[in-house]
Amino acid sequence: MRLLRALLIWLAVVLLFDLPPHGSVEATAGLPERRNVPHEILAIIVNRSNPVKNLTFEELRKIFMGERSRWPNGHRVIVTMMEPGHPEREVMLRDVYRMTEKDYLDHFLKGTYTGDIPVSPKTLSSSDILRKFVFNAPGAIGYLRASDVDGSVKVVRIDGHLPDDLEYKLQIGGLGK
Amino acid sequence: MNRQTRPVTWRTPAGVLKARAFSSRLFDEHRSAWLLLIVFGVEVGLGILAMRDLLATYDEVESVCAGSVRGLRSIGELQYEAQEARRTTLYALTTNDGNLQVEYADQSRGADRFVTEGIMQYLAQSRIPRETEAGKRLASDWDAYLKARDDVLGLILEGSIKEAVRVDLTLGVALFDRVRQDLEEIKRLYDDQASQHLVLVTSSSRRSVLKLICGFGFALLFASAAIWAIQRNRMRNEVQLAKLQMDFVTSVSHELRTPITAILCASENLRDGFARRKEDLVEQGSIIVDQAAQLSGLVDQVLLFAATRTEPRYPLRPLQVSEIIASALKNMAVLLERSGFTVEQRIQQGLPQVVGDLQAISKCLQNLIENAVKYSPEERQIGLSARFDNSATDKKEVQISIQDRGFGISSSDLSRIFEPFFRSPRVVAAQIHGTGLGLSIAKSIVEAVGGRLSVVSEAGVGSTFTLHLPVAEGDAQPDTVRSAAGPGEATT
Repeated sequence: MRLLRALLIWLAVVLLFDLPPHGSVEATAGLPERRNVPHEILAIIVNRSNPVKNLTFEELRKIFMGERSRWPNGHRVIVTMMEPGHPEREVMLRDVYRMTEKDYLDHFLKGTYTGDIPVSPKTLSSSDILRKFVFNAPGAIGYLRASDVDGSVKVVRIDGHLPDDLEYKLQIGGLGK
Repeated sequence: MNRQTRPVTWRTPAGVLKARAFSSRLFDEHRSAWLLLIVFGVEVGLGILAMRDLLATYDEVESVCAGSVRGLRSIGELQYEAQEARRTTLYALTTNDGNLQVEYADQSRGADRFVTEGIMQYLAQSRIPRETEAGKRLASDWDAYLKARDDVLGLILEGSIKEAVRVDLTLGVALFDRVRQDLEEIKRLYDDQASQHLVLVTSSSRRSVLKLICGFGFALLFASAAIWAIQRNRMRNEVQLAKLQMDFVTSVSHELRTPITAILCASENLRDGFARRKEDLVEQGSIIVDQAAQLSGLVDQVLLFAATRTEPRYPLRPLQVSEIIASALKNMAVLLERSGFTVEQRIQQGLPQVVGDLQAISKCLQNLIENAVKYSPEERQIGLSARFDNSATDKKEVQISIQDRGFGISSSDLSRIFEPFFRSPRVVAAQIHGTGLGLSIAKSIVEAVGGRLSVVSEAGVGSTFTLHLPVAEGDAQPDTVRSAAGPGEATT
């Protein structure tokens, strides 16, 4: 019992020091420093002119679902997705949309038809094109493997976590939520 | 002493004298050719300079053209890439495919990078304020356009096509027009600079051509004037020579006529029987023999002169000075005796041997003695002295002098007495016979053996002619000096 209590205290201390302090979470341009980051992690990226630095997972989901149309700076939100077949897309469908491919298509078909969703996501053929799209379009948001990110785009914190944090949720290969 | 001393001396060594004489003769004979050669050299030099000027001008023109072409090509490329940046941006408007739009955006950015680098390069290379100003304006306008272009691209990618078109029409077109105008202005700058350079180069080229023409003209004028002067001088010389030769012929004819007349008279006397007695016959015969001998001497002198004109070469050997003097006095004994002259000799003892040919140097001395006799109508005494002179460091010599107290030579004639056929007007007026060849022959002979002849004279006082004869190798110290036996001058 003593052993279990000591273990719990140690765990609590570790969590307390490891978590970033609430309210001081900031996004950084690109990934200047990675600490043993596995390449399978997906980073959420926006245009460098976009003022948003942090999103909650729910905000992220709403944006990708087409439920949010404008950024705080007034630019239209443009969601970018990779073509079907890319593992990154599958992770997004599974972890963010929580939909199958068919459900995803139906969702946007229905949404654009009814007018609930102003613009359906842009489908791009590769991570390189996607990165360039986000670089060129001020309102664009997309995702890339953390290893594909460079200084031309900005990585957004999700729930205050950057891709190299242990608590970061979006990972390829089912390690996420 | 108020003796007018104007020595005519030739102190240069014999070898140098010969070389100088040879070069002088060579130059004299081919003076026009040498001049033309010099003029040709000058012309070639001028031509080379002018060619260098023209080649430098050509290089400059080439460099200006190349610089202009490079500059214009760079500006052309900048114009094309600027258009490309704009064109590819507008291509993005033509499709909804995000992939294609990104590709067009990529191309546009590639083109704009090229333009930006080109502008930076132009600014770095700009040399004059106008260029810098134009470059800065272009850079500023290009940045402004790129901002507008980025907005348009962003709007296109976001799907706001109408907004993109509006922004492009209101902002992009105007800004791009300014960029285009800036590029045109830079192009004009290149043109202006090339034109200015060409004007400068043309003027420089004209100057070169003018210089060349002036140079050639001057050289030709100079050559013509010089050739004219040479020809005129040569003609004068020829006229003078012809006159001298005529004088010579007259003089020789006169000299010939006298003995011939005497021979003729004596012969007629013999033929007509005016001389019957033995004494008369001997007298007439002596006249014939003497006059014939005089004739022979005259002919010998003319022949000797002719021989000295063609670079005489004598077999040189060491000679005793006493040997030379004895030979000359022996040959002149009859003349001296008949004329009633005495020779006062002052010969330094122990003189070294000299180099020369006995007969030739003796002949020189004889000519000098004969002149002394001929031109000393009152004083019947001639001085003959010989001394060693080692004052010159490079060459030691023995000087044999003949001194008379005769007419002397006026300063105006002094410089001409060694010219062939020259006879002083005073001498001619005094009806002293001669050919005007004696001194010329003496000078030629003594120079041919490596010596020289000098004269010190004063009109009405007398003359001293000195033969300077080189001392034989290995015998440069006179005995008296070697033995330190005192001054050693002897008077005979």
